[in-house]
Amino acid sequence: MGLSANINREAVEQLLQAIDSGDQARSSELLDELTQLREQELYQKLSQITDNLHQTLDDLGDDSLMMQTKYDLPDASERLQYVMDATLEASEKSLANAEQIQNLLDNLPDETLTQEQQEALKLAHDNATQIILAQSFQDLTGQVLKRVMLILGSLENSLIDLIQQSGHDYDAIPQRKKSNEDLEHGIGPNVTKSSKQDAVSSQDDVDDLLDSLGI
Amino acid sequence: MQINRDMNILVVDDFSTMRRIVKNLLKELGFSKFDEADDGATAWPMVQTGKYDFIVSDWNMPEMTGIDLLRNVRKDPNLKDTPFLLITAEAKRSQILEAAQAGVDGYIVKPFTAATLNEKIQKIFERVAERQKAN
Repeated sequence: MGLSANINREAVEQLLQAIDSGDQARSSELLDELTQLREQELYQKLSQITDNLHQTLDDLGDDSLMMQTKYDLPDASERLQYVMDATLEASEKSLANAEQIQNLLDNLPDETLTQEQQEALKLAHDNATQIILAQSFQDLTGQVLKRVMLILGSLENSLIDLIQQSGHDYDAIPQRKKSNEDLEHGIGPNVTKSSKQDAVSSQDDVDDLLDSLGI
Repeated sequence: MQINRDMNILVVDDFSTMRRIVKNLLKELGFSKFDEADDGATAWPMVQTGKYDFIVSDWNMPEMTGIDLLRNVRKDPNLKDTPFLLITAEAKRSQILEAAQAGVDGYIVKPFTAATLNEKIQKIFERVAERQKAN
């Protein structure tokens, strides 16, 4: 910042003299003068930054900060929640099935089996145990996901603050325009409330739709 | 009806877990000859060799989507009748319509069951047999 170049050297010398001679009134006066100058320049700079920010945030294009804050961040959180829910469900299914396998194996009467068969069954039992142990990933990934969701939530709040402070009305940010290009390339599973619109919810719906087309 | 369980199948999906599951299910149904590709772009040159009797593909892949792969297959005079099944998370009505228009033989949405896969394969090859009879 070039402020130091603008500090009036003479005024500073006068200030020192006033301080040395105990002239409090004069010292105050000179100090006020010097700081006022600095404040004005700071104020100008701040004004400039705010204007720039306002302009940047004015952009309502699809990838603009405002659109991303209002739509993409909550969307990302919703998707992470889906990941947590889906992996939990899958883990529980795997656990249930592996446990059932173990029960079935345990309930086979040993007496009717050959040595070879018993060994094979023991290995199968161990495999089932390995499947059970492997599900522990879900706990660790769940913790990681929770942490990421916290970070996203915090980021979202910071950006909302920024948007409000720049003089924009967060609630007045309009809906995003939909693009067909995304559907052509593929958008992945429809797991958020908004993306479930216009989507079929089951294979039966797909079949009905295709049937109606003669396929 | 008798489906040729010896046919060459190409499984295309950018997620290896998915390819593994599809192959596993197809094995359960009695098929045994599989090749894999991790993108429409890697699949296309493989398909062009004319080796495959059946293509099972995802939609959403980075370089070439499943729907573009389908279009390429249908455009090629030597390949255009290759049975093509999409197994995908893409579930918007407009997307299903688009796939139908592009000439897909079957459309399965994820997550799916072994029964659905079996049913769709049966249906696809019944129609293939009907087409051949007609010709």
